Amino acid sequence: MAIGVAAVVVMVSMGRGAQKRVLDMIHEMGTNLIVVNAGKVTLVGGRERQSSIVTTLRPADADAILDKCPSVVEAAPEINRKMNIRWGSENMMTDIVGITPAAFEIRNIEIETGRHFDAVENNTAQRVAIVGAVIVEKLFNHEDPIGHQIRIGLAPFDVVGVMKEKGVDANGVDRDDRILIPINTAMRRLVRTIYIQKIHIQVANSGQLRQAEMEIRDLLRERHRLRDKPDDFTIQNQITLIQTERESARSLTLLVGSVAAISLLVGGIGILAVMLTACRERRREIGLRRAIGARRRDIRTQFLLESLIIAGLGGFFGVVVGMLVTVFASRLGGWAAIESWDATSVGLILSVLVGLIFGIYPALKASTLEPIEALRSE
Amino acid sequence: MSEIDSMIKVKNITKSYIKGSMITHVLCGITLFIEKGEYVAIMGTSGTGKSTLMNIIGCLDKPTSGQLELGGVDAYQLDDDAISALRNKSIGFVFQQFFFLERTTALDNVLLPLLYADTYPADAIPRAKQVLVNVGLEDRTKYLANELSGGQQQRVAIARALINDPDVILADEPTGNLDSESTAEVLKIFHRLHKEGRTIVVVTHDREVAGHAQRILELKDGQIKELDFSSKPKDSSDH
Repeated sequence: MAIGVAAVVVMVSMGRGAQKRVLDMIHEMGTNLIVVNAGKVTLVGGRERQSSIVTTLRPADADAILDKCPSVVEAAPEINRKMNIRWGSENMMTDIVGITPAAFEIRNIEIETGRHFDAVENNTAQRVAIVGAVIVEKLFNHEDPIGHQIRIGLAPFDVVGVMKEKGVDANGVDRDDRILIPINTAMRRLVRTIYIQKIHIQVANSGQLRQAEMEIRDLLRERHRLRDKPDDFTIQNQITLIQTERESARSLTLLVGSVAAISLLVGGIGILAVMLTACRERRREIGLRRAIGARRRDIRTQFLLESLIIAGLGGFFGVVVGMLVTVFASRLGGWAAIESWDATSVGLILSVLVGLIFGIYPALKASTLEPIEALRSE
Repeated sequence: MSEIDSMIKVKNITKSYIKGSMITHVLCGITLFIEKGEYVAIMGTSGTGKSTLMNIIGCLDKPTSGQLELGGVDAYQLDDDAISALRNKSIGFVFQQFFFLERTTALDNVLLPLLYADTYPADAIPRAKQVLVNVGLEDRTKYLANELSGGQQQRVAIARALINDPDVILADEPTGNLDSESTAEVLKIFHRLHKEGRTIVVVTHDREVAGHAQRILELKDGQIKELDFSSKPKDSSDH
């Protein structure tokens, strides 16, 4: 019983969380967006995993997409690496993300204090950095980082801005635990590579998403000379991303939902068994109550109330457990789940309903017992 | 014993049990009138159907055929709710096995019938305490029913039967589980209740117990017979 209600609470909370994730995702990605990933992107446990590093996607691909695909209005390449950073005696690992200035707008990256970097700084590979809130907290101990110099790997960078806090994204990645630098700086001075990992592409309007996807696929296949080989890149658009997200949320909801349904059923059968036993063991009590004037309806009410109390108690514990699970799951697992009063009331209502449904039969049975038979039984 | 103003009228009642292809006739056309204020004992050896008769008079069991009138009401024409109300208001049961809610105090057990009355009276607790005083258990009100001795339990049961001020008290082997001392106490209470003008019907196999009644009936082979103890001046005030 309690397990069932707990599952209901978790399920509703998670449903809420999944909704929020989808909304977050749309917001974070910006509108009318297509993402080209180097290599294959797979979903592992509902989270994106980019498979082994593929060295085919280059910045020139981004330029070509912008040039040759008519429905594309902006294309922003991205490279990222986990690197060690240092400031004074503090050091930590973080994501170094190389982007072009175009990415600020199409990916909704806002600046809390300081400034963006511009195209000139990118082209000339300046060592400027925009840091996330986690970096400010951990590396700078909440000091204002702007104007300070940090080392990424061995190279010194000037901090010019702080990103607005974004929190944990749908894949459990902390979007504040990263540093943005110009992509040219990253490729030439830091990573020393000619390959990129992603291209974020903005399409003129959402009706052209499919069209643009086809254009991009054809262009990239041609540029990468794939002919009859499979794609060495993955194209995701908002719609497919949201769909995968919805699907994983749905399958999880289904799972928790069936756990809830089964345990509510088991709980209900438990109540049925307990009340039928009570009905048999307390025949004399029923007989006595009838002998001194209880009506059938009084006995029925009494037994029904008893099942409701059992179910209600179970439901109460379930709500408590469910809320704890929700809170811990969202803290530890990075799963976005929102604890809500809806979940609590749905859980409680369900448990009372189960108590009612499974309590009716024993209550009827108790109330239709003939008083004399009830009294005679041992 | 006029039929017109009898309080309990049992008319031609039969009761048969069917077990497989066997039909057992327990009561074969019993007709019996009990007046208000009478103290009646129904005797008989075990298995003669005296408890069955008692349960039928108390509306706990239905006769196979026949009619029962309680205070002018044809009891077995009533629906279940009305019969329940009748049991609640007009009849006070005292059973051989007492029947209590265990782990419940004597007081709460006495209060139980009031719970099923139309309205729960405001003076329920003083009333319950008063009937417990009447049976001499004023110092046992807070005891759990199962902590009391047999005699005390039966007196709590009598108090419970009295709480709704019933028209008739039906006692089924009330002394069957009691020692002689407790039996004497219970009989004393019945005697006093009779003096107060209550109608009492006691079912017993014990001639001694039956001897306290005003009128003794014997149930034998499904028929009832008036025992002629009453011809000699057997007044219960001797005791």
